[in-house]
Amino acid sequence: MMSGELRVRLFAGLREEAGWQERSLAHQSGMTAAAVWTLLNLGGTAPPATVRVAINHEFAALDTPLAHGDEVAFLPPISGG
Amino acid sequence: MQVDVDLLAAPFDPLQSLAAWQASRRVGRPCIGAAEAHFIGRVRPVAADGSPLEALEIEHYPGMTERRIAAISQALALDHGVAAVLVRHRVGRLKPDEPIVVVAVAADRRGPALRCCQEVLESLKHEAPFWKREWVNGCGHWVAANTPL
Repeated sequence: MMSGELRVRLFAGLREEAGWQERSLAHQSGMTAAAVWTLLNLGGTAPPATVRVAINHEFAALDTPLAHGDEVAFLPPISGG
Repeated sequence: MQVDVDLLAAPFDPLQSLAAWQASRRVGRPCIGAAEAHFIGRVRPVAADGSPLEALEIEHYPGMTERRIAAISQALALDHGVAAVLVRHRVGRLKPDEPIVVVAVAADRRGPALRCCQEVLESLKHEAPFWKREWVNGCGHWVAANTPL
């Protein structure tokens, strides 16, 4: 992945609905996870309320600005333990 | 304070995990924590709709899942003032009755040990990225939410 790119990851049901698990995307100034969701046509204008976002392995808000090289993940409802 | 977290891709024996954890706390000093609380979770034989379960698949987010469990364990260990926390959690495909998770806490007294053990378990069920898929008659269905407490 080039330094000016974002890595986008999907898991579980989201991955299967989209048909892919990982993509690279050119980073643009001011880009947020919400914008990534829309750009990649992941469904509607924003993720469902049950979907959580992680940036570089930490939970984050949808409107957090992204930086070059960030890894953004969209996480469907968690069910561990 | 000791936090020991690991994700396991193959079946494991929870009692061996507990024995190894107890032994690790006795090396070169008196055992830390006179009170221990243990939780072992296993795969149920039936799916959410009551059908006989063939298998349970557990997916995780490598890197983030381990980091979240360690952070949860450290924060709760500090909150409750406990001496040690152990977490072992399976990933991959599991058969009914196989162990999924072990949480153990050692503390000076039973109250903090029991409370911390329950809170670590509940936190990891909701705050560590795991996803379960139930397999019934060759079809897989993602589990939408945790079972009730």
